[in-house]
Amino acid sequence: MELPENPNKDNNGYESAEKLILRWDSTASEEAREKMIFETDRHEADLYLQAVDEIQRSLSNASISNNTNAAAAAAVDDQSKVNSTIQIAMARLEDEFRNILMTHSSALETDSLFDPSSSSFSAPSHHELEEDDSVSNEDSSHNDLLRLPLQHCESSDSSTYRSTSSIREVDLMPAEAVCDLQAIAMRMISSGYLRECIQVYGSVRKSAIDSSFRKLGIEKLSIGDVQRLEWEALESKIRRWIRAAKVCIRILFASEKKLCEQIFECVGTDIDDACFMETVKGPAIQLFNFAEAISISRRSPEKLFKILDLHDALMDLLPDIEAVFDSKSSDSIRVQAAEILSRLAEAARGILSEFEGAILREPSRVPVPGGTIHPLTRYVMNYISLISDYKQTLIELIMSRPSTGSRYSGDQSTPDMDFAELEGKTPLALHLIWIIVVLQFNLEGKSKHYRDASLAHLFIMNNVHYIVQKVKGSPELREMIGDDYLRKLTGKFRQAATSYQRATWVSVLYCLRDEGLHVSGSFSSGVSKSALRERFKTFNAMLEEVHRTQATWLIPDTQLREELRISISEKLIPAYRSFLGRFRSHIESGKHPENYIKYSVEDLETAVLDFFEGFPVSHQHMRRSQ
Amino acid sequence: MPSTEYQGISAPLTNLGRSLLPLRRDQVHSMESPIGGSPSNEVELESFQRQVADRFHDLASVPSDELLSLPWVRKLLDVFLCCQEEFRVILFNNKSQVKKPPMDRLIADYNERTVKALDVCNAIRDGIEQIRQWQKLIEIVLCALGGDSNSSQRSLGEGQFRRARKALIDLAIAMLDEKDSGQAVAHRNRSFGRHNNSSSHSRDPHHRSLGHFRSLSWSVSRTWSAARQLQAIGNNLAVPRGNEVLATNGLAMPIYTMGSVLLFVMWALVAAIPCQDRGLQVHFNVPRQFPWAAPILSLHERILEESKKRDRKNACGLLREIYQMEKCSRLLGELADSVQFPLSEEKEKEVIQRVKELKLVSDAMKEDLEPLEKQVREVFHRIVRSRTEGLDSL
Repeated sequence: MELPENPNKDNNGYESAEKLILRWDSTASEEAREKMIFETDRHEADLYLQAVDEIQRSLSNASISNNTNAAAAAAVDDQSKVNSTIQIAMARLEDEFRNILMTHSSALETDSLFDPSSSSFSAPSHHELEEDDSVSNEDSSHNDLLRLPLQHCESSDSSTYRSTSSIREVDLMPAEAVCDLQAIAMRMISSGYLRECIQVYGSVRKSAIDSSFRKLGIEKLSIGDVQRLEWEALESKIRRWIRAAKVCIRILFASEKKLCEQIFECVGTDIDDACFMETVKGPAIQLFNFAEAISISRRSPEKLFKILDLHDALMDLLPDIEAVFDSKSSDSIRVQAAEILSRLAEAARGILSEFEGAILREPSRVPVPGGTIHPLTRYVMNYISLISDYKQTLIELIMSRPSTGSRYSGDQSTPDMDFAELEGKTPLALHLIWIIVVLQFNLEGKSKHYRDASLAHLFIMNNVHYIVQKVKGSPELREMIGDDYLRKLTGKFRQAATSYQRATWVSVLYCLRDEGLHVSGSFSSGVSKSALRERFKTFNAMLEEVHRTQATWLIPDTQLREELRISISEKLIPAYRSFLGRFRSHIESGKHPENYIKYSVEDLETAVLDFFEGFPVSHQHMRRSQ
Repeated sequence: MPSTEYQGISAPLTNLGRSLLPLRRDQVHSMESPIGGSPSNEVELESFQRQVADRFHDLASVPSDELLSLPWVRKLLDVFLCCQEEFRVILFNNKSQVKKPPMDRLIADYNERTVKALDVCNAIRDGIEQIRQWQKLIEIVLCALGGDSNSSQRSLGEGQFRRARKALIDLAIAMLDEKDSGQAVAHRNRSFGRHNNSSSHSRDPHHRSLGHFRSLSWSVSRTWSAARQLQAIGNNLAVPRGNEVLATNGLAMPIYTMGSVLLFVMWALVAAIPCQDRGLQVHFNVPRQFPWAAPILSLHERILEESKKRDRKNACGLLREIYQMEKCSRLLGELADSVQFPLSEEKEKEVIQRVKELKLVSDAMKEDLEPLEKQVREVFHRIVRSRTEGLDSL
């Protein structure tokens, strides 16, 4: 209902407006302080706003007519009175504004967004760690590389909540409240009370955001706190943060922005920007502080995958961050997000580099019993299998080749990689190959701690074979490593098998050689019985020793074990059979043949089956068929 | 390189040339133990000590009304960045030494200190935001009383004064320490208003949100303490022993120097800017033989003295502009409380004067707060970068 305009200030409209405003002066009466206009009565609220409008109108009108000194002096007095009334109205409106805001400023309803109590993990993939990395504790010089279990990291969380994959604004308060706030804001701003308006708005909405933060599980952690926490605890915090950040940016902040735009619709974008920033700048900084703390934490290999998760999540959020924080005053937030992203990338690179160095330096000297697969091998191969899962991200991040040579100058001999034959490979692939090169180099060093050369070869064979199997088992890894290098590795473990056989069996089979057993004389067909008996004794002793020892050695891979046993049999059995065939009669014609011909061919065949099982044989000697 | 070059610099220090060693052999004093080092790096190390000393002499030679002002604090941060940069160059030039013990441990220690400083930087950023909130309240006062640029000769009526007083009281509450805010809220309620009979403020949501507002402004947990953080930074900061100096080819000295510089700078920031649990009891035991010891110790003493002064004991920050803001606003508040309407010409003149003073402070803050925030961020970045620098990058 419009009141008739009248330049004459002493009309009813102005007076009644002034009266209404004075009635609601909260410093004047108890009643005025106790009740809230906008809570009480729709009609009352409308009347009040109209009264404010009326006073404002008279203020602008009063400045027009100042033609005589008397009129001017009177005008000044009047103006002062009007100003006073306006101030009372503005103070009142400020309280009403605050009250409406506070009534509708609770935490975001997150129940429909996600269920914080559920453990939402996706099903484990085939890249889970196969067995515990338990290492014998004899070697206390193990570095941390081996101690740390590699956990499966889910690269994409299965959602038990409606997806927050894009900006989705929600209504933070009912439309009626927004209308009221809009109406009040308009009056406050047109009276020059913009600053009060922004201040009240910011302080109330900030507390609402704070409640939402707590609901989302966003904590106030300092950099020192993050440093002190165990990595496992941090991993779950990172997971939680990623979920929360998506809700914050895409729903919470976006909705706040929309609310500002709605309330300050009529007064221009600068003001709603200012209100928005007043509200969210602090919380946004608090949100990003955690990610920043992670990005600058000490680097160690087990952190790589969660850091990549964080990197990817932030990368994904970046366009939305730029959309929500698009004003000049929010520069610092966009800049901080971009900085964190680049630090995470740097951290990933640094960790990979650290990892390579750690493999090279891994110092454990205690030989793994039985020559089996070293925990280092398992760890490294599992690690790079996981890396191949993150291939998409890492290919973008890893941009330079591994540095070989000069970095390790000072070491006696350093591993080498021939880049010429690796043309056309991505830097990431080169790094993966380099890791395998470095791993082998370290394993070679470890193999030297075996006193028995045969065991050293077996060790190499086992471990390189494992590497090959792991590469073959992952299509992405295989594609990056390439079949050329795979062939090289295969050749390597085959060669180790051959070296093993030579080391062990040459001397055993030497006992079964022909020359040296015949007495001199080209026409004589005599055989030196003593020499023959020696041969048998030596052969038996050697075989028993080898059998006893090498039964405790282990080749974990069934097929490889079989192959090696067959290969041994193929040389041993025919040689023994032939030896027996030619010379047994000579022994049996003498005394105590059982002391020399202890084992039948079948005995030998059975004995070979004991090899590389990893168990000590129950009898001191090989079984005899008698 | 003249040591006053860094005055008022707000641009990031991208010019590495600044940190190249100047040739000032003619000014080199014959120092004994603080330098150490072999003939090859003795010049370098000596020069570093001299640079640090010169810069702090400059900082210390300001009159007391400039000490801990916004421009001075900005200068302090520039000094830190310069020293840090030169320190970095020294480490770079002595790379081979750096990896060997005991140098590696000393550097790891220094890096640990700098990490603790990162949290201080973040807390200071919060504090600057707080000051900004106060400055916004002052803008309301200025707007009300004609101190802002767009008001011409406007008559000051009751309405404007009420508006100004409201903002001044909000400011006073906001500037008090958290533990006092409950009392202050009651006081505000009593003193504000034409009828002073009511003591009930339960219904008034304004005060609830004001007190609440303070705790929201810290982005650190309630248990975080600036005092503890400073103590941690200064933990085990000891003058290197003779054998350490020898074993590190003299490099233990610049490390100790940078550690001391870091501690002092962080301490001064905490002294100046509001932050959670601002305790200033940190000891600086620097042997006088270091050329920079005298200026740093003198600054330390002066700042401590300032903190003990009667009217500054309970200040939430020793920044000069905070003091000015508080003083001006208090005087203006007293004036506003005492005026009768209509305003006498004399009173009006007084008000205009006070408003002018307040505007000066407000303008100074407005100008310097944002650059200060950027500088603090820059310190943060430099520290982070220097930590990761040792690693090879892919």
